[in-house]
Amino acid sequence: MTPLLEVEGLVVRYGPAIAVDGVSLQLDAGERVALIGPNGAGKSSLLNAICGLFKPAAGRVRVAGRDVTGHSPGEIVRLGVTQVPEGRQVFATLPVEANLLLGAFGREFRGELLAATLRYVRRRGEVQERLDRVYELLPKLHELRERPAGQTSGGEQQMVAIGRALMAEPRLLAVDELSLGLAPLVVQGLSEFLRRLNEEEGVALLLVEQNAALAFELCERAYVLEAGRCVLEGPSAELERNELVRTAYLGGGLEVA
Amino acid sequence: MTEFVQLVVIGLSTGSAFALVGISFALIFRTTNIVNFAQGAFAVLGGQFTVWLVDKEWPTAAAAIVAVLLVTAVGALVGLLAVGIRGLTTPLASLVITLGVAFVIQALQLLSFGDRPHTYPSISDRVWTVQGVVVQPQYVLIAAVTVVATLLLTLVLRRTIIGYALVATSDSVRAAELVGLSLRSVAVVTFAVSALLSAIAGLLLTPIQPVNYDSDVGIAINGFAAAAFGGLVSIRLAFVGGLVLGVAQQLVVGYGDAITPQARQYELAAALVIMLVLIGWRSRKETVT
Repeated sequence: MTPLLEVEGLVVRYGPAIAVDGVSLQLDAGERVALIGPNGAGKSSLLNAICGLFKPAAGRVRVAGRDVTGHSPGEIVRLGVTQVPEGRQVFATLPVEANLLLGAFGREFRGELLAATLRYVRRRGEVQERLDRVYELLPKLHELRERPAGQTSGGEQQMVAIGRALMAEPRLLAVDELSLGLAPLVVQGLSEFLRRLNEEEGVALLLVEQNAALAFELCERAYVLEAGRCVLEGPSAELERNELVRTAYLGGGLEVA
Repeated sequence: MTEFVQLVVIGLSTGSAFALVGISFALIFRTTNIVNFAQGAFAVLGGQFTVWLVDKEWPTAAAAIVAVLLVTAVGALVGLLAVGIRGLTTPLASLVITLGVAFVIQALQLLSFGDRPHTYPSISDRVWTVQGVVVQPQYVLIAAVTVVATLLLTLVLRRTIIGYALVATSDSVRAAELVGLSLRSVAVVTFAVSALLSAIAGLLLTPIQPVNYDSDVGIAINGFAAAAFGGLVSIRLAFVGGLVLGVAQQLVVGYGDAITPQARQYELAAALVIMLVLIGWRSRKETVT
């Protein structure tokens, strides 16, 4: 079977600095995979290169067998890979519902705003169905639909960002730092939601996390990144027992599992 | 008292035109972070094209509509140029590009329309007199069009998917790109809409203040000042800023005449000083609250 996402020897540079130094990874449809590592390991750079925000200096990215290396973010969204960005990045002055609708609108974009609008208006019925489905999955968003997204709590904003990504009907949801700046209880709720989304809707997950415990709990497999390279990979259960991972990411052996 | 009301009435109408240009500035800056120096040129072109077509015996309304459409197309082109190449063109480079475009447009006007001011007749020669205050229909037209255009723009930004896309880009460029919006396309539409608004302002102002190839400097400064009143981002405050500026200028001219015959020369400078004070006062209030 062709993997849903295949990254091969990806290199990302910012000028002379190398952020990602030849990373390869694979993810099958419906899988939950984590990318862990310390701050500055290159996790977000890797994710952003996959999503088309920067052009990689070398390497390949394939989505469902199609080479999308260096394609625009919009094209990658259309192929079914949508990112929930770090720090949520909601459209703060727009109502929650407008945030969600833009998730569906972006998919229609092929470089031209007016043409995209026409396509979007023609698909308005489908968009409405999708919106109802997202409200069903995240009822809180329905309550907040008229409120400017910037005036909701951090956890709610994370829901808005996830809902916006879901509006594009992704096959793979790439979540950058789900837990950043959120209370543990809120993170727990969101993590359970993502698991349900994966199990019931079959949406694959690529979770980029500094919180390794959360990543292992939610994901079946993980890649460990350090200084731009992949140093370890394997099933979460195995990595969790790995001495290196325990000392570096899970607070040594002190924590009782 | 009658004189004061008269000056305020004239100020509100010219101020409306400044408001439209100010809103155009704010719209572009908000969505693209570009300060568009060609904004005044859009307004002047609106006036020049209208005069050119009216001189060819076109009905004024048709001339105005075609002029606005032409300037809108010019605006879209300037937008495409100003955004440049993703990742390479910085906002500062874009600003210099718009400055260059403004000079090119001046030069082209000089070549095709000459160096004399142009005008066309206002919509009506009738004059209304209300308790000694003279109101020309053109004043009312400018104010009415400005109010309607501002309301329409606000409605588009708040209620339509295109508006959401424009606002989204100003809220978070990163997220706008990630959902699939193309910044270039958003910028082109923003420039086109801004050019449309400025062209309307320019052509409505032309019967009162004839346009010349270099009138864009004054219009751009006034429009920029109006936009600065709203921190270059608020459309509502740019609207208010334009009106305040228009009234301030008329008052300086009107009452300054009594003090020195050269008052008219200080019209712009005096109004800008008033504007600076107001902006300073507003930003002080903002930091306190």
